[in-house]
Amino acid sequence: MGMLDQAFDAVIIGAGHNGMALGAYLAKSGWSVAILERRTEEGGGLCTEEVTEPNYLHNLHANYHSLFGICPVYDDLELLNNGVEYIHPAVQMGSIFADGSAMTIHTDMAKTAASFARFSQKDADTWMRLWDEVSGYLDLMVRTLMYAPPIALKDLTRALASWGVEDKSEFLTARLRSMSVVEFLDKHFENDRIKAMLAFHAAICGYQPHVRGLAVSYPVLLGKIANWHVCKGGSHRLAHALMRVVVKAGGRVFPQVPVTKIVVENGRAVGVMTPDGFVKANRLVASSVDVHQTFQTLLDQEVVPAQTLKDVAEVKYQEASLFNVHLAMNGLPRYKAAAFDPDIDRAWILNIGFERLADFEEEFSLVRAGKLPKVPRINAAVNSIYDPTDAPAGKATGLLRIFAPFALEDGGAEGWNKAARAYGQACVDRWLAEMVEEDQRQLVRRFATETPLEISQKIINYRFGDWMVGQIHPKNLLEQRPTKELAEYRTPIQGLYLCGASQHPHGYITFAPGYNALGIIAEDLGLDKWWEQV
Amino acid sequence: MSQTEHDVIIIGGGHHGLTAAAYLARAGVDVCILEGRHEWGGALYTAEVTAPGFCHNIHANFMEFLHVMPFFQDFDLPSLGARTIYPEIQAGIAFKDGRPPVLIYRNDMIEETAKSFAVYSKHDAETWRDLKTKANQLELIVSAALYTPPLKWNQGETPPSPLLPAHNLFSLFGLDEEMAFKSVRDCIDECFESDEVRALLYRVAIEFAAPSLEWPGSGYFFLFACLVMPGCWRMMVGGTHRLNGAMVTACIKSGATMRESSRVRRILMEGGRAAGVELVDGKRLMARKAVVSAIGLKDTFLKLLGEEHLSPYARRRTKNFKDGPDQVLGSVAMALHEPPKYKSAKWDPGIDRAWYQVVGYDSAKDVLDYCRAGHCDRIPELPAAAVWINSLWDATQAPAGKHNLTGWYFFPRASALTEAEWEEVRETYNEKFLTLYGEFAPNMTRDNVIADYLHTPLDQHRGMRMREGDFGHGAMSLDQMMGLRPFAGASHYGTEVPGLYLAGSCTHPGGGVTAACGYNAVKVLCEDLGLPQSVWQNPARFY
Ligand SMILES: Cc1cc2nc3c(=O)[nH]c(=O)nc-3n(C[C@H](O)[C@H](O)[C@H](O)COP(=O)(O)OP(=O)(O)OC[C@H]3O[C@@H](n4cnc5c(N)ncnc54)[C@H](O)[C@@H]3O)c2cc1C
Ligand SMILES: Cc1cc2nc3c(=O)[nH]c(=O)nc-3n(C[C@H](O)[C@H](O)[C@H](O)COP(=O)(O)OP(=O)(O)OC[C@H]3O[C@@H](n4cnc5c(N)ncnc54)[C@H](O)[C@@H]3O)c2cc1C
Repeated sequence: MGMLDQAFDAVIIGAGHNGMALGAYLAKSGWSVAILERRTEEGGGLCTEEVTEPNYLHNLHANYHSLFGICPVYDDLELLNNGVEYIHPAVQMGSIFADGSAMTIHTDMAKTAASFARFSQKDADTWMRLWDEVSGYLDLMVRTLMYAPPIALKDLTRALASWGVEDKSEFLTARLRSMSVVEFLDKHFENDRIKAMLAFHAAICGYQPHVRGLAVSYPVLLGKIANWHVCKGGSHRLAHALMRVVVKAGGRVFPQVPVTKIVVENGRAVGVMTPDGFVKANRLVASSVDVHQTFQTLLDQEVVPAQTLKDVAEVKYQEASLFNVHLAMNGLPRYKAAAFDPDIDRAWILNIGFERLADFEEEFSLVRAGKLPKVPRINAAVNSIYDPTDAPAGKATGLLRIFAPFALEDGGAEGWNKAARAYGQACVDRWLAEMVEEDQRQLVRRFATETPLEISQKIINYRFGDWMVGQIHPKNLLEQRPTKELAEYRTPIQGLYLCGASQHPHGYITFAPGYNALGIIAEDLGLDKWWEQV
Repeated sequence: MSQTEHDVIIIGGGHHGLTAAAYLARAGVDVCILEGRHEWGGALYTAEVTAPGFCHNIHANFMEFLHVMPFFQDFDLPSLGARTIYPEIQAGIAFKDGRPPVLIYRNDMIEETAKSFAVYSKHDAETWRDLKTKANQLELIVSAALYTPPLKWNQGETPPSPLLPAHNLFSLFGLDEEMAFKSVRDCIDECFESDEVRALLYRVAIEFAAPSLEWPGSGYFFLFACLVMPGCWRMMVGGTHRLNGAMVTACIKSGATMRESSRVRRILMEGGRAAGVELVDGKRLMARKAVVSAIGLKDTFLKLLGEEHLSPYARRRTKNFKDGPDQVLGSVAMALHEPPKYKSAKWDPGIDRAWYQVVGYDSAKDVLDYCRAGHCDRIPELPAAAVWINSLWDATQAPAGKHNLTGWYFFPRASALTEAEWEEVRETYNEKFLTLYGEFAPNMTRDNVIADYLHTPLDQHRGMRMREGDFGHGAMSLDQMMGLRPFAGASHYGTEVPGLYLAGSCTHPGGGVTAACGYNAVKVLCEDLGLPQSVWQNPARFY
């Protein structure tokens, strides 16, 4: 019998972490589950490949995992017992500034404050108050804002107001909903570099610092500033663990089986088409891919209400994708700035180039114009500092990322094919300029690039290279993500659910869209919950 | 992962390790399999090394044993995602001046092959008809030989000569038994007269395990590589790594504990027995019953175990085990706008759809010279190759309308060149190949290539721990075959170290995606651990 000749209770489109998590919960509930993946490998954004040289493991996409220890899925699916290991770097983030000074964010907040205090004692004190405050409600906020279906922004502000938030809290106010991260930082902090460091954290989480309204979830974001984790041995191990959970529970993951159509009969999704033929879904089809693909390509246009199609057509993607440089190196980097702050050599996620809030504005307006900054501003990470297993003994693996337009002013998206190598070299040079002299000469063995265009070709749901699968903008968050009608993971097609990064809260390795879709599905189909829904 | 003790620990998650893990786990044995890399399957490896969406089988591509492979049948791997395609035209060679190609078709299409050979020689067509028919009839015998452990050898006895079965095989083919003493080249030359047919068969022979074309006593590989194997080749839909996916699923389903990114650095001895392993991060895992090593011989005995635990005999034989025939594979990959269109296609368009396409040689002598380079530690001057374009059959392996060419060069062993010299090869050799390619298929210009990649034997040596880049984990020469693989005292999967077993390609039947080493090791383990034969027996099979 062919592998897809049977009917499954659930057919899931896409074996990213969201699709696999949903599949795992359902399989553990006794359902038969097939997860169909168009790529040769499961995991979606959890992909680790030796793109420079054998034995150098590069996380092409999800490198920084920020919800371990917070997200309930890790425990529910016993991922640590299935082969996932996380490392929590002691020096989480850092900035190297043009004048040779450096700043570091530690898991030990006293050390963070000490680093900030070298720039501004006042800001260091403010930071500690902010941190304490955020720590108090982080858990609650994460659970209500992330691991539950979206609540309307106005309900959220109303709840905060009735809670009397302004009296109880220095930083949380109902006004955040109309503020940008930049405004928030300007309001509370005085030092340019501390502000730049904190805005950098927002930017790498997909929050453009000057976009109005995003301040509303910024405190939650700050609460995770010291929760960055390295997935030991490469992010792809998380995919392996998920696959094991699915298979142990009786489910199946089938890579290299692209879904070409969602089959709808009498208003109900009854299965999908693949190059291998029809795959029947008895209870539901769940799509973890972008809404454009789901509604414009996979569904016959006649079966989708006109308004739904119209709304989907309006869904926007992030202006800034990422240009990535992966490095094979002869050892760990040693920065000149270590003379100022020795901890910088152990900082995992590094900001090189954002010195003040205005730099973000400039960076993103260049991106909007399809331009590349002459001197790249880099987000760098050397996982080997904390996970030496990702490179041969004594060697190291590195990553440089730059916010970048999908389409270049010069040559459009295809222009990247010509520009990539030279721009990659420019990024490497910019980074090496921060090293001690010996490293400048001999540190880098080889590098490989991945352009926004290549991102969108490799994982097609990252349309326009958007790793969040939908803009991070007040118009596309919470109960409006991806559209008002689709925000609750249901669709106008009966039996068709949405469970990927297009949904609330957003992309990143959060498991939240899959987990929240699960809650809705459990409700709709009367599933006995063996897990404790948060 | 808290469990630190298991019945059996398997080192190496290549396909042999996976085979052993699946059978033992299904029999209820508490098995833990450890893989050093972050990915399973070893040489069952597919990666997008050129450009996104182009899947390249950088290592194994031609699955010649699936139709007889016990693992494939017993665990219904197709139902777990291992889908196959069986291309009609299996192999072909094109020529520079556009004269007719020579094509080899599937086992069930002997007449078509004969027709293609007949363009150059009626005699060769007739010979093929005769020998290939016999090869097909012998399939069962060949399978049984693969999937049965060699007889156990006891110290003091004369080592079993692999020549004996080779003699027998020749006589089964109706050929003179003494041909077993000859070289592959001599056998090919004796049976086939056309230079074009010989050129194709030379290349096929070295590709499929002949250690050398010209060593006397390797005639056996002529039967195997030229007559038995071409015609059996299946393609994995989605790339060879999908076979791994199905094997891994079978292991998980059966209850094996699987740990990737877990490189073993030491085999632990206790009371004269192999009792467990230590990982590179210092973690220790103990084995109550057996440690099974499915990695290379030298790594097992010299690196992980330590020669102090070996008898002088085993130490000697291990150190003198040959890694690599003199020529090993380098892999070329190209992302293409359109598939090659050969000049030779004007005579027979089949060449454009041959799965294994030999390109760059214009005569049998070209192939000989090419192979000799490897024996002299040189990179062949003629930048020729054999390539395949899987996207012609399986559209999922490349973006819509595009094509994924992958292929093999023959290079000297990894240690023959310095790192800098390999770097130079990596930078320049594909370009030379492409220039030559254009003379055989004019559309193969730089403009047709979206991106390209070259994987050197040194990469192979480092990445997959295949010493010297040897794709068989030990040369498949007659002195290292059957009851002599890896050496007489270790050819029965058990070793002189109690509790330590071998299950990798360094045992019979050697390299290739056979799943036989793992399967045969399971047979021996069942006996030693007191498990019933029903663990592996299948009424539909006698081996
Ligand atoms: C360059 C880059 C850097 C990133 N860095 C980080 C980071 O540091 N930290 C972090 O947390 N996140 C990061 N991300 C984002 C993160 O990887 C994604 O947001 C996340 O993986 C989304 O998960 P998902 O399960 O919703 O979708 P995905 O992981 O994208 O999975 C969806 C799957 O569906 C498959 N698919 C698409 N179409 C079909 C079809 N028709 N049929 C079958 N299958 C289909 C895709 O191939 C894919 O495997 C990064 C992303 C990129 C691109
Ligand atoms: C370029 C190339 C082309 C080939 N083409 C074909 C073909 O077309 N058809 C065919 O049938 N065969 C082909 N082969 C041969 C075939 O692929 C191999 O012989 C076969 O896959 C070997 O299987 P294995 O399980 O013995 O070893 P491997 O696949 O090498 O697996 C061994 C595994 O052990 C792991 N390992 C090593 N050391 C340790 C350690 N200390 N701790 C833990 N894990 C460790 C390795 O990482 C690896 O995954 C080819 C091989 C190559 C290299």
